[in-house]
Amino acid sequence: MVFPLPTLAEPQHFSLAERVLFAALAVASVALFWRRFGPILRNILRSKQDADFHLFPAGKRIRDFAGEVLLQGKVIRQRPLAGFAHALVFWAFCAFALVSLNHCAALYGLGFLNPAGAVGRFYFYFAAVFALGCAVGIAGLFIRRFFVRPKWLGEELSWESGLIALLIFVLMASYLGAFFVPAASPAARILWWTHAITLLAFLPVIPQTKHLHLIFSPFTVFLSRGSFSRIPPLVGDEDFGLVAGRDLTRIVSLQAYSCVECGRCTEHCPANNTGKLLNPKEIVLGLRGYLNELGPASEVPLLGKHIAQQAAFQCTTCGACEFQCPVGIEHVPIIVGLRRGAVNTGAWDDEHGAKLFLALERGSNALGLGAAERDKFIEKNALPIFDGTQEYCLWLGCMGSHDPRGREIVLALVRVMHYLGTSFGVLRKERCTGDAVRRLGNDLLFQQLAEANLEALAQNKVTKMLSICPHCVRTIQEDWKEYGAPPAIEHHSEFLARHLAQLPRGGNQEQIVFHDPCYLGRYRGVYDEPRAVASRAGLLVEAPRHRERSFCCGAGGGLAFLGEEQGERVSHARAAELAATGAETVAAACPFCNSMFRDALAARGEGAPQLLDIAQLAARGLPEQGN
Amino acid sequence: MKIIVAIKQVPERDAPVRIDPAGTWIEESSLQFALNESDAYALEEALQLKEKHGGEVAVVSAGPERVGSTIREALAKGADRAVHILCDDLHSRDALGVARLLAAAIKPEQPDLVLSGLQSEDLGLGQTGVIVAELLGLPHATLILNVEKTETGVKVKRELEEGWFQSVELPLPAALSIQSGGNKLRYATLMGIKRAKTKEVRILTAAELGADSAPVVRMERIALPTKQKSTQMLDGSPKEAAAALLEKLKFEARVL
Repeated sequence: MVFPLPTLAEPQHFSLAERVLFAALAVASVALFWRRFGPILRNILRSKQDADFHLFPAGKRIRDFAGEVLLQGKVIRQRPLAGFAHALVFWAFCAFALVSLNHCAALYGLGFLNPAGAVGRFYFYFAAVFALGCAVGIAGLFIRRFFVRPKWLGEELSWESGLIALLIFVLMASYLGAFFVPAASPAARILWWTHAITLLAFLPVIPQTKHLHLIFSPFTVFLSRGSFSRIPPLVGDEDFGLVAGRDLTRIVSLQAYSCVECGRCTEHCPANNTGKLLNPKEIVLGLRGYLNELGPASEVPLLGKHIAQQAAFQCTTCGACEFQCPVGIEHVPIIVGLRRGAVNTGAWDDEHGAKLFLALERGSNALGLGAAERDKFIEKNALPIFDGTQEYCLWLGCMGSHDPRGREIVLALVRVMHYLGTSFGVLRKERCTGDAVRRLGNDLLFQQLAEANLEALAQNKVTKMLSICPHCVRTIQEDWKEYGAPPAIEHHSEFLARHLAQLPRGGNQEQIVFHDPCYLGRYRGVYDEPRAVASRAGLLVEAPRHRERSFCCGAGGGLAFLGEEQGERVSHARAAELAATGAETVAAACPFCNSMFRDALAARGEGAPQLLDIAQLAARGLPEQGN
Repeated sequence: MKIIVAIKQVPERDAPVRIDPAGTWIEESSLQFALNESDAYALEEALQLKEKHGGEVAVVSAGPERVGSTIREALAKGADRAVHILCDDLHSRDALGVARLLAAAIKPEQPDLVLSGLQSEDLGLGQTGVIVAELLGLPHATLILNVEKTETGVKVKRELEEGWFQSVELPLPAALSIQSGGNKLRYATLMGIKRAKTKEVRILTAAELGADSAPVVRMERIALPTKQKSTQMLDGSPKEAAAALLEKLKFEARVL
């Protein structure tokens, strides 16, 4: 069989001097690599073991690895152009593993891919396609980094990135070039050596730059905590969260060294986008800097020189950073861990924070209001008390019990439930689920609240719960597990969507924009249900940032209780975006979002869209006498 | 400086209160309990004095076993040790009876300062701290917002009526009852609770202290406030009705 196509040129013979020279260079390259990589690996391995880490079941790990690493799914989906360019480089690296091995082996006459043979020919052409893609991709990324310069890549130009791009480009060019020269020519030899030296130069550059992610990120993705924003339990009497280097676990250290500094976390961070100090990327790089300087056994506090305490407490725990991260860094457990370290040891001194903690030490709700107010609300609206005979325990939460808008949402849901004939009851006494104190890092209070609530639910023999608050749902379902077995709970959007067919179609032509609450969307993966409810009440339109890219309202992570923000208010930024869609109605599905937007939309004055919860949209179509 | 803080565990502020069948106390079985608010300020003042001047802070509390949780909270916030006067008859003792218990426990400690909250949130008698001072023979002052150590004793800021303050100097040892709001309270931390496990809690009984429990003042009956809601229609022209309303707001409701 004769191919009209050129063949990859490999020098025919290598002299002994060449062989010795290459061997010496290879040894030097590996030695340089190890000198830098060794200490990093030791920092990770000497970090504390993750007490709650379980490799099995591995199904999700394998799926994530295939989707996020091999297929580059997240990289491409969240930033299509740059992501695809990256995928081209990544895939070329995979395809090049055999080529590079063969390249070096050929020097010693051990080449296993014969450029003239059918298999070798096929594989070299296969790799050439990837090499071409890679060369185009890396050139594109180079232009983006040095000429387009998106702001989240940081202000400083990284010369290493340029060097790496150059090395990759030279690798590809020297490979492709070999297709166009005769095998016996000096040009073939020059190309071979160029390729080989570039390869050996590349190796030592990896561990001192963000290109460490080449080595670590496949592990980081595979060895994740297992679920989104999972906060690990504290173990033993001396574990107070991330206080100092000695508290860093292997997962945290591995993640710190995996950061590729792409800035997706920063790009999506509500705090960073509204002029606050917090930059999630700098938190991760701060940990890396700490590890490099002080190591994983240090007693020096983590919050200080490398990471600012103020930044850690500006996080709304919206999880946009963690959701976006292409190398599997779990920012929220890190940030919450740093807060735990500060709060559990009393190092965090904040007037509003202390007020919230004291309110919950002495009372039952985060708003610091008396339980009698909740009793009055229940009595006035004749809400049935849960007695074990009803299907659902309707969990009111602090906002549903005390906040005027929260109460309206509860009453709208109650109307719908009456209409559907669904039986439900409320608890005589509830305590805050502890969401805000959990995210602020007060483990003592969180444990007390979770245990008291779990006991009350068990006493009342509750098996199914329903709540209007995504924060309550998340905290009850996931975070309480540390202290017992919580009953099944769902968010009212899921309940409403399931019963939508039985509700009258109250829809009209009104445009409705739905705001995804972070704790419903990214945390729970519920995107379609609230949209189904909203689109039955009008025409659904989408904000520029929606579903998993939704932009926080600013209330999460306990920040609703921490007083005035630095810079622009997150809620105002988001309200402006929602109003700019031109929708007449903003639909929310969380009483905290509702409370934030109520003020932010009011501040916009005349012509601001009206604000309704999806429960209120669902109840709108009901006949006046709900039952 | 050695400081003793007398603290009391009271029903949580928003607890649903029910009267017990005997009608002389509230049903405690379904209640949750917390540290009395002004006692929390007394403790805070003591901790801040210790942080500034060194020394020791011990808390003393009388009550049944459940009081242990409040004692642990005080230890978690920074008290060095505690004395728990174990007694189940606290609510049948009058202020003198409780003060005798506390004074008997405090006396052998020979403290420089005895702090107590101004009054308890359940009974609100506001006497216990003062009686303790009398029983111990200590100079005392009440309604204290702030304590400053001087070379010879302490200088305290008292809150009087209508926004007036009074500054008083006392020699040490002294007893002070502390008003809420003078300081920012600290929150309890996990580290504090864990450290508190190893702190000493000495348990004493009323019999050991030899304190007489026969009350001078006996609780006869307690009652929930009756809810009153009455509507009066004011007749006459709007002008007359407005005048009548003004009259009633001024002299009946006394809100103007």
